Amino acid sequence: MKQIAAVTADDNILGLAWCGDSLAATPSTGGILILDAAGRKGSSLDGHGAGNGESAWFDGSLATCGFDGKIRWNGRAIHAGRGIIERLKASADGKFLGAGQGKALLVFGGDGNPAQGLSGLPAPIADFAWNPADSSQVAVAGAGGARMWKFGESEPFARFDWGGASLRAEWSSCGRWLVTADQTASVHIYDFSRAYPLHIQGYETKVRAMAFSADGTRLATGGSSVITIWPCTGKNGPEGVRPVQLDGHDGEVLAAAFSPQTGRLATGDGTGMVLIFTFEGDKALRKRLRLDAGISALAWHPEKEWLAVGRKNGAVSILSLEA
Amino acid sequence: MDRTPVTILTGFLGAGKTTLLNRILTEEHGLRIAVIENEFGEVGVDHELVINADEEIFEMNNGCICCTVRGDLIRILGNLMKRREKFDQILIETTGLADPGPVVQTFFADDEMKEKLFVNAVVTLVDAKHILLHLDDSDEAREQIAFADVVLLNKCDLVATGDLDGLEKRVRQMNALAKICRTTNAGIEIGKVLDVGGFNLDHAMEVNPHFLEAGHHHHHADDVASVGIEADGDCDGKKLDEWLSRTVREQGIDIFRMKGVFAIKGGPDRIIFQGVHMIIDAANGGPWGTRPRRNTLVFIGRNLDRAALNAGFQSCLA
Repeated sequence: MKQIAAVTADDNILGLAWCGDSLAATPSTGGILILDAAGRKGSSLDGHGAGNGESAWFDGSLATCGFDGKIRWNGRAIHAGRGIIERLKASADGKFLGAGQGKALLVFGGDGNPAQGLSGLPAPIADFAWNPADSSQVAVAGAGGARMWKFGESEPFARFDWGGASLRAEWSSCGRWLVTADQTASVHIYDFSRAYPLHIQGYETKVRAMAFSADGTRLATGGSSVITIWPCTGKNGPEGVRPVQLDGHDGEVLAAAFSPQTGRLATGDGTGMVLIFTFEGDKALRKRLRLDAGISALAWHPEKEWLAVGRKNGAVSILSLEA
Repeated sequence: MDRTPVTILTGFLGAGKTTLLNRILTEEHGLRIAVIENEFGEVGVDHELVINADEEIFEMNNGCICCTVRGDLIRILGNLMKRREKFDQILIETTGLADPGPVVQTFFADDEMKEKLFVNAVVTLVDAKHILLHLDDSDEAREQIAFADVVLLNKCDLVATGDLDGLEKRVRQMNALAKICRTTNAGIEIGKVLDVGGFNLDHAMEVNPHFLEAGHHHHHADDVASVGIEADGDCDGKKLDEWLSRTVREQGIDIFRMKGVFAIKGGPDRIIFQGVHMIIDAANGGPWGTRPRRNTLVFIGRNLDRAALNAGFQSCLA
């Protein structure tokens, strides 16, 4: 493992996102950094006042949002209202950019003009996820659970209701699975092939880290210092199956990401430890790296074995795992 | 780890919440304050640290309406707590019709919120001129008063002194523990709002030494009242635990707040207790020292059975 670049942002790193060799690092407050191919600080985009939200690459430019209720993209500023915007994501096909603001999902086309979104939802959007296989579908998570919508229809085509609240949502790239991390120490997994919901409890804490492998066959979840990997294969997926549990962390796992190239899993905890797992048959081989502050975000390069690591102190490192 | 104080500002629309908020944000107090606003009124507070978000209420535990919390606060405050530059204070302005319960419960029920933040005070602004129009028929108006640690009887310049005395008496009967301040244009020393320091029963007794007597003869229309209990001696810890658990389980929906100090048999320290609906929390209040070992407990809620609560507590004495 070799560090090929290191920069420091103004604050705790909320998220990291690659677009080719460009890396965007979004801190909790202050300027959003874009690093070039060599890991040099290329440019810094204005922050969003009291707090930044998620950033997303859209049509080759970085879109940002935040507590000021604004979306900035490609030199444009869209002020949709006074409500904060925490979630911003581009659809997998790159056609749409979505932003959750209160009870509305704002959607923009590639020209930056509004497209058909969702409004008057029953609860504010805590998170949402595009269906990677169909950008006309989106899952919205919040109080009550998650609901899956097809744009233009007045009712959700699937729902995932339960009494509590879902805080984060991820849709597997194969399109079969949706997972939500909940306010309670649990996750819900929805199997679209059977229209079947699963509720998995037993975590020590809220699940703050979760990631699907690129092929959708593995789901890694945090929820303690142990990483729990659920197999998402076969007719029933994780139902009735004993998960693989990987230890080695000293603190709660706060970030997880699978390499899209090799399927390696990177995880980071609150004490600054990064673990890289390489799966060989039933075995998971582990590499360990200790950094100077708690890990808050991880992102693999889409084509290279480069791992970007963001930390609570604002530091961002790019590590190469190439042979 | 030092926890950040959270002050919750409630009150009907027009009671003066925005006026107070503007005073707090513009006065020279040297504090770095973040404000979370749920009131999307036409007159917004224009300040970089004012964060506007929709209220999002959900149940922590499936089906338990007493364990409702505010999801928007958990997310926003979770994010603010990650910042390198921490705030000295967080101020939450609720909507005029908000039930303060879920807001307060958020800081007891969510582990991360509990670890990093504490409720400094619920501050309820009351429009002294118009509150009587709402008090009889609005659950929210009564609940906002019941939850308060500080009540600001605002717009006092518009009300005769005799009428104010009557209103203050009625508010006191509903909430025996709150500090009541009379204000005009929400004019109050900022420290009296931002530096309450959470629940302090000693302070409550300094303010109103007869607070345990309040509520005996409450206003005929008020189903909300305070029940105070005082008893010398020691409690049996197990009996007390069982009685409190049973009480909140059976009556939690009607109990807005509970506060108390207990002497537990065999324990040298005061046990400070507080609760919101079904959520209860206890902490060590330090040694009794030379003070008399006297148990004090106050319930603020709706349709409380004073005799039954008294009898229940007496049965816990060792």
